[in-house]
Amino acid sequence: MNSEHITKTFLWPMLILALVASPTIGFAEEPIGYTTEVSNLKQDEITVTGRVNSMTGNEGLPGVSIIIKGTQQGTSTDGDGKFIIEGVPANATLVFSMIGYKSHEEVVNNRTSVSIVLQDDLSSLDEVVVVGYGTQKKETITGSVTTVKSADLVKSPALNVSNSLAGRLPGVIATQGSAEPGYDGSTVRIRGTNTLGDSSPLIVVDGIPARQGGFERINPADIDNISVLKDAAAAIYGARAANGVILITTKRGKIGKPSLSYTFNQGFSQPTFIPKLADASQYAEMRNELELFKLPVSEWEAANTAFKNNGSYDRKNGSTLTAPFSPEDFQLFKDGSDPWFHPNTDWYDAALKDYSPQTQHNLQLTGGSENFQYLTSIGYQNQDAFYKNSATNYKQYDLRINLDAKINDYISTKIGVLGRQEDRNFPTKSAGTIFRMLMRGNPTQPAFWPNGLPGPDIEYGENPVVITTDQTGYNKDKRYYFQTNGEINISIPGVEGLKFTGTAAADKYIRQTKQWQIPWYLYTWQGDYETDGTPKLVAGKRGPYADPALSQGNEDQLNILLGAVVNYDKSFGDHQFNVLAGVNRETIRNDNFNAFRKYFISGAIDELFAGGDSEKNNGGSAWERARLNYFGRINYNYKEKYIAEFLWRYDGSYMFPENSRYGFFPGALAAWRISEEDFWKENVPVVNYLKLRASYGQMGNDNIYYNNSLQEYQYFSTYGFGSYIVDGNVVKSLYESRVPNTFITWEVANNYNLGLDGQLFDGRINFEFDVFMNKRTNILWQRNASIPQSTGMTLPAENIGKVNNKGWEFNVGYNGASGDLKYNASINGGYAKNKIIFWDESPGAPEWQRTTGKTTNSGMYYIYDGIFKDESDIAANNLDYSDITNNLRPGDMKYKDYDGDGAITPDDRVRRDRNTTPTFQGGLNIGLQYRNFDMAILFQGATGGELMVSSAESGAIGNYLLEFYEDRWTVDNPSSEFPRIADRSDQYYSSGNTYWLQSTNYVRLKNLEIGYTFPIELIRKVGVSNLRLYANGLNLFTISNIKAYDPESVNQTGQYYPQARIINFGASINF
Amino acid sequence: MGVCLSLLFITSCKDDFVSTRPLGEVSEEVTWSDPALAEAFVLDIYNGLGQGGLDEQMQASLTDEAMFTHPGRGINTITESRSNAADQGWINGTYSWSELYKRIRATNLAIVNLTESKFDDTNKANSLLGEAYFLRGYYYQQLLRFYGSIPLIDKPYELGEEDYTLERSTYEDCVNFIVSDCDKAVELLTGVTNPAGRANAIAALALKARVLTYAASDLHDVPTASSKSPTIAAFSNKEYLGYVSGDRTERWQKAKDAAFAVVNQTNYGYKMNLSAPVSPAEGTENYKTLSLGGGSNAVPADGAVELLLGRFFSELKDEGGNYVGRNNGPNGYHNWAGNTPIQNLVDDYEMVDGSQFSWTNPVHASAPYQNRDPRFYATVLYDGADWKPRTNDVKGLDPFNQIQTGQYEVVNSSGSITVQAGLDTRTSSIEDWNGTQTGYYFRKFTDPDPAIIDQNTRQTIPWPVLKYTEAVLNYVEACIELGQDGEARNWLNKIRFRSGMPAITESGDELRQRYRNERRIELVYEEHRFFDARRWMIAPNTIGSKIGLIRIGATLKDGKKVQVYHYDPESYTYKYTPSDLDPGIENRQWLDKMYFMPISRDEINRNTKLTQNPGYE
Repeated sequence: MNSEHITKTFLWPMLILALVASPTIGFAEEPIGYTTEVSNLKQDEITVTGRVNSMTGNEGLPGVSIIIKGTQQGTSTDGDGKFIIEGVPANATLVFSMIGYKSHEEVVNNRTSVSIVLQDDLSSLDEVVVVGYGTQKKETITGSVTTVKSADLVKSPALNVSNSLAGRLPGVIATQGSAEPGYDGSTVRIRGTNTLGDSSPLIVVDGIPARQGGFERINPADIDNISVLKDAAAAIYGARAANGVILITTKRGKIGKPSLSYTFNQGFSQPTFIPKLADASQYAEMRNELELFKLPVSEWEAANTAFKNNGSYDRKNGSTLTAPFSPEDFQLFKDGSDPWFHPNTDWYDAALKDYSPQTQHNLQLTGGSENFQYLTSIGYQNQDAFYKNSATNYKQYDLRINLDAKINDYISTKIGVLGRQEDRNFPTKSAGTIFRMLMRGNPTQPAFWPNGLPGPDIEYGENPVVITTDQTGYNKDKRYYFQTNGEINISIPGVEGLKFTGTAAADKYIRQTKQWQIPWYLYTWQGDYETDGTPKLVAGKRGPYADPALSQGNEDQLNILLGAVVNYDKSFGDHQFNVLAGVNRETIRNDNFNAFRKYFISGAIDELFAGGDSEKNNGGSAWERARLNYFGRINYNYKEKYIAEFLWRYDGSYMFPENSRYGFFPGALAAWRISEEDFWKENVPVVNYLKLRASYGQMGNDNIYYNNSLQEYQYFSTYGFGSYIVDGNVVKSLYESRVPNTFITWEVANNYNLGLDGQLFDGRINFEFDVFMNKRTNILWQRNASIPQSTGMTLPAENIGKVNNKGWEFNVGYNGASGDLKYNASINGGYAKNKIIFWDESPGAPEWQRTTGKTTNSGMYYIYDGIFKDESDIAANNLDYSDITNNLRPGDMKYKDYDGDGAITPDDRVRRDRNTTPTFQGGLNIGLQYRNFDMAILFQGATGGELMVSSAESGAIGNYLLEFYEDRWTVDNPSSEFPRIADRSDQYYSSGNTYWLQSTNYVRLKNLEIGYTFPIELIRKVGVSNLRLYANGLNLFTISNIKAYDPESVNQTGQYYPQARIINFGASINF
Repeated sequence: MGVCLSLLFITSCKDDFVSTRPLGEVSEEVTWSDPALAEAFVLDIYNGLGQGGLDEQMQASLTDEAMFTHPGRGINTITESRSNAADQGWINGTYSWSELYKRIRATNLAIVNLTESKFDDTNKANSLLGEAYFLRGYYYQQLLRFYGSIPLIDKPYELGEEDYTLERSTYEDCVNFIVSDCDKAVELLTGVTNPAGRANAIAALALKARVLTYAASDLHDVPTASSKSPTIAAFSNKEYLGYVSGDRTERWQKAKDAAFAVVNQTNYGYKMNLSAPVSPAEGTENYKTLSLGGGSNAVPADGAVELLLGRFFSELKDEGGNYVGRNNGPNGYHNWAGNTPIQNLVDDYEMVDGSQFSWTNPVHASAPYQNRDPRFYATVLYDGADWKPRTNDVKGLDPFNQIQTGQYEVVNSSGSITVQAGLDTRTSSIEDWNGTQTGYYFRKFTDPDPAIIDQNTRQTIPWPVLKYTEAVLNYVEACIELGQDGEARNWLNKIRFRSGMPAITESGDELRQRYRNERRIELVYEEHRFFDARRWMIAPNTIGSKIGLIRIGATLKDGKKVQVYHYDPESYTYKYTPSDLDPGIENRQWLDKMYFMPISRDEINRNTKLTQNPGYE
């Protein structure tokens, strides 16, 4: 790159411009002659005082760093913007800098008093953006690249970085499915879904692709910036870049005296949504209804009346039907007079606490000289779960050391070391199980008995107030990362502009899992009473095993990357060239084993040796992966006005056979800075920056994904191992893993992008707009729709699928100030919608059921058409429902006869053109600063997704959503709009029709931060250079269509660990 | 760093390291040249047996043996005759088109690679080949009895072939193909002693007998089937359903001969040499021993002898078939009541004296679970039946460990009489949604060993894939159809004597009816009824009938003050009320299309030469 050159040529005119524009610059407060005299007296060293003002008004700017150029000597301004600096050479240059302002150099020229105005940096055009294998200036960048900076990321109290992206990066769709500590990451998609298989982007951390652990758990305080390559700019990552690339760059040391900063965050989290469920008497009412709906319709009326009057119904056939709940029961549920046997349990309330703490500490030491800079960062996180007495929590310990050293004029080196331990602790029951039981827990059953003992079983002993705690044992998942990357840069002597970079990364990953399952106790009443007259409870042992059992596992992995890059910068007059070429070699090896024992001699010893020999079990395996790639880039610009770039990668992946292993992935990008043209400058000066970008790139995807797993070695004729039981023994067996496909190769993405970037009023308004079209071909998918199953073949992936994805993104920002108030606002959004062009769909399905031409993962549904309100409504029906029921009854649902054949058959189902993933996601970011106060607001929203809300586990087996209670057909109040309740969705209409689909459109206050920075004069006395207190929050409120669950949910039954609302208080202090 | 860089440049030119290998798999070539690996390949094909029939949903619930308690599993799609090409209803993996053809492909691969084996041990290669032929025949037989005739594929297809479509062969050709595979298996396996879980020659003989018995039946004799069913009569490709020509007597003779080849191997029979009934108690024990197939510590292991081929289970491998007790047991034991016997079955158990049970007989009606066929007690859990110890959270409510499916009066602590719901009912205090709808629970394949706590202990009762008794019954059936009533009665009565039932003396059609009921009772829950009711074409009135259930009420006799309930005719008056299941739960009906299951529409779209079965359009 020639960035240094560009910076120089560009900075100077800007500085001159700034100097001219600002009337106060350069004027000394004291007569010039006097100061000159003083400086002469003191020979070369003088003391300089002065003040730094902001552009608006006469406010002094606190905290501006001032350094004598070429030294490490410096100071910073106080709360009034004033400074004193001693021992300044009379001819020295002072460098003033502060984030958010253009840095300023001022020649002292013997003056003892220097006051300047720092210009707001609105344009950020000289900002440097990280791209693949280098950086580029924002003003000359050609690709569609969006970035987010550390300062914005740390405004979010989310401990998992992936949860801080939504609404900040146009074109990046991040959806958080759950907030369970340890598994709370968002699903991140760049420009939506482009393929049928794996759509996850490539994550590159400090130049190393696909590092184990990804980016979610990187300490947010260590991240300098995140760049997202959305178009052909990603082509330099070749066969893995088709879903876009996310580049994470960590912070590095800065020149200056050692600076120590400490950040502390104390957060409190709670679920964003708790499903509203029926209470005890409402549930009892529905439970009774279920019984009468089993009767012939002719008896409903009578049975309903009988149930209400005396709780039992004498049937026509002579038998008596007793209602599950009698009128007395209803009274007791309502008045709460019998907490033992007629409780009104709110299971969520019983199992979850009001708020759960999360803590984060971070200590950073940074500094350095011109030849050596260092940054060390130590972090600790502790995240509790929503449960009372929770066995679930997440702890993280991390250390990062980033070193930069200049060995001599030709050689410099960079070293990065990361050590991280992630402790995920859980009870032996999964969050899915716990929340399943919270949804299922009948409000008519106690969670705890009035005497405080745990209530009875729901099923499998899974009473949530017990299985959320350590009473079931524990499940520990510890992951250790030791990642190192080193880089050496050699400027080749004698050839100006030629540089060699060698890279090596060795990433170690170890995972240890240990699950200790012990029986636990639940209490039931079996009819006896204590002497004091209270019910006598009996302890019952529950659990998957009658005795303790232990499973332990270990995984050991080493990723090695070796790389070399040659970089050459050259300019001829107005023509500038940059050429880059490189090679990478990547290997991964993973070994794992696991062991299991039960029949422990005692529950006191939770180590394998103490288990019995009977039924002990163990296993182990290994895998290897490797890739070899060559890549390069040629960048050309003419006067920074016409810019062109060509990049490529020649990629070889172990996923493919030798004859199709390598692929060539080119990208071409061009940009035209219209605003640099004279005609523009003369005619439209208000638009000070306007750039048109266009790109086309071909990228690949080598991740063959279906059936939720990576499908490796599709070209091999290999047999996998199973087992079968012979003579009472488990013996190994072998099965054909697949019919080999020796022609397999990577998926191809053809991505087109057109973009326009601009600024108005010197950066007061900025905008970006992109439209894109991604055509994915050669998608790896099974030809299972056209090859008959009678062939018996286990089909391999073949390069058959085609998906198109189109969309657009925008970002518009405004920076302004009024008196002491500075503000900025930006709004961004991204829309992406895909369409299956081909994926071997069998031809016989009716046209309206075909997936081809629709978006991926779309479902097929009957169309809801009202309710059979009563018998006369059924009698009036002339559609044949016999394919779906042979017994139409009042409260059943009407379907639309879509194909008009007079019968409701599976052919009447219609394919939707939506799925659970939103097509649009956007954000509104507002920043405010008033004196020492600052505030940041992020509203975020999404549209275009839908979710089926299911009552599959409601009925005798579990509770109902309150909305199902409120909206339902009953004998007393027959509805023509809402259906009869069902028991475990046992009616034909209980699922698979449009009635149950709910839009998940939403807008939420995703993030809010309010901060206060203490005046410097107050804190300087105690040696503190900066002290800021702040409070921030995540998911503070939400407006959404879907009422049952959080709109980001993808779970139909609400049986999942919900998303979190977090309120956090923090302090950061610098020494 | 320098070392790394030089290493990089040395290695980057050579890319051998990119050719990684799957470390957990072996290649095709290695497999077929190593007898142990080849054997492992053949062993895996047995996994097409699935869980045998011990899945959570059992085929019994598609018949008049049982109903499945939990809704939403596609069971009533079939029992209410709502199956169609787009929604077939629940089909177990052991009858699944795709699953079975996948296994058939594996047998074809084995046959290709073992016919000219690449390893030296010819004996091993031949016995493996024999197993492969057997398995191919078995899986085609599963398809044939479920869908009618199917495309016969005898080679492994490869990717990139021009044509994958193939029409259905005729029913007759399918039968001949399977018989031929059985004959090859018998030839290759004769003299081979395979361990339990693998096929021997005798298993191949038994398979052949079953296929030929089915082939001779009414449903597969097109003239007979057409006369009984307009749906079949209207079908234009009747050759897919059965024999359109030929001599039925000849078919029965073949069936008889094939069955006799098995029956004659009397060492496979369990207590099949009796000349008079054993005592009722012994009869129950014998039937338990036979049903539990040697997999339970609670009864003698002798029952294993009858398993010509079994699907076995182990406590070391966690499989669905380990949890029969949990899947089907009472909710009062924290079990799930999956496939509960229905009243229609219970009523078909004879009295122990060989007479029919009748609700109009007041003695029968007041004590319906007394003096019944001894097999009843080894098959069905009924109200008052002794069962395993209750778990300790429940045992205070039932210290007597008896099944409770009724409503009982008890005297509460304040001295007044209240009605208490049985622990194993749908109004129980324990997991009521898992209570039986019918008033019964299944016990035939549940290990009665109290050490097996069904809710969380793996049991190892094997599934009878092919069993000696079935072959005997096939033989009896052929004899009846050939008019050889004496021989039929002789073998039928051996089965009855073993279970403590008196001899049958009828002949002609009466004998046929007694035989059919005997087969229903003896082979209950073994996946025969689904097919028997179809091939005898009695399905409209049997598996098409509404589900019957029992309601039981116990009222305290005068002066009795029971506080903790147990079954006690001294203290209680019991009232048993049989009735039909309410239509809101499962509303059974029969349509003739259900004689053959529909072929999935997607498969017909993939293989355009396929013709759909009659009645599905």
